[in-house]
Amino acid sequence: MPEIRTPRAIIALHWILAASVIFLFVSSWWMLALPLPSNLFTYRELPFQLHKNVGLTLLVLIVAMLFIHFVSKYKAVNSQQNRLELWAHIGHYLIYFFVATCCLSGYMSSSYSGWSTTLWWLVEIPAWTNENDELNILFSDIHGWASWALLILIAMHVAAALYHAFKDDKLINKMFRLD
Amino acid sequence: MTHINEQSNVQSPVAWLGAIAVLFGLLLLASQGNELLKQVVIAPGSIAELGVEAQCRADELEEEELSLQECQLMVSNIQIILASSPDWFRSFQITLSCVGGIAAIFSILSGFSIVGGQKKKSRMWIFSFALLLLIDIAGFIAAVNIGPMLRAQYLWPLMLWFFIHLCLLLAVCNIASAYKSTEN
Repeated sequence: MPEIRTPRAIIALHWILAASVIFLFVSSWWMLALPLPSNLFTYRELPFQLHKNVGLTLLVLIVAMLFIHFVSKYKAVNSQQNRLELWAHIGHYLIYFFVATCCLSGYMSSSYSGWSTTLWWLVEIPAWTNENDELNILFSDIHGWASWALLILIAMHVAAALYHAFKDDKLINKMFRLD
Repeated sequence: MTHINEQSNVQSPVAWLGAIAVLFGLLLLASQGNELLKQVVIAPGSIAELGVEAQCRADELEEEELSLQECQLMVSNIQIILASSPDWFRSFQITLSCVGGIAAIFSILSGFSIVGGQKKKSRMWIFSFALLLLIDIAGFIAAVNIGPMLRAQYLWPLMLWFFIHLCLLLAVCNIASAYKSTEN
């Protein structure tokens, strides 16, 4: 029976997602050490806007990725799953879930903090809520904890990919296709 | 949306090396992107350099779980970076991080072709990792010539990247020569 190849769009989105998420982690650790914002100290303005822009774009990409998953005949793992494959399947969806949670909670936190968001410095996203410190802190906490959970899941995902690469069982080849 | 795999028998004997190259390539791309962002944000002549005191509101300190001292030191941190940077450093780092980012993308593509066992691209693998090594060396030389407080932040990660890229370069050189000898 011929093998069904992973759609190119899924492969491209997977790697764009990977590069963006790693960048978001690295840049967020750095930008949180910048001076607190005020009228004079605006060091955080560009990094935070960029962080929000990349995050909101990722949310769109995640939706696109899930859409392609559902409309294509392609399945990430076999229908006759063993326990490990089932865990791999759950792991993938947990990564999607936590990326989406990080993006949404970050946006909610930003909205309740009273800071405006201009998507890629082009489209002003209208403020749909008033400033609320308690909700800002709540969503900020969710954002933080979801990010740590995502980092753990990414580490497990990378570990699993490297395990298959060292085992040389061809499983990883489907995501490393350029043609 | 779906494609039938006509080349499922194509397999690299060193797929693991390609996967590792892609992993490090992604980490480097993020690192270079962050360095570029740093250099754009922390510009000479900005407010921290003018000696303006940090503005630390109590509610913001609570929100970010910071002490007043930490808040003040955040401004000092910017001052350290600006004071330790010679005039040429910022433009040099902006150029180097742009080139480094492109080289990182190139190394990711090389990693893909290593996994795919595309032997004809072995010269590209060598070139991409050699380029990364040169970028590390250039960054290291630049970091040696900046102030000690900033130098302390740059030298160790640069040395780690240098040895990672050295390992990858030697591995792909070895594989390329093995491919060559099997062809002959």
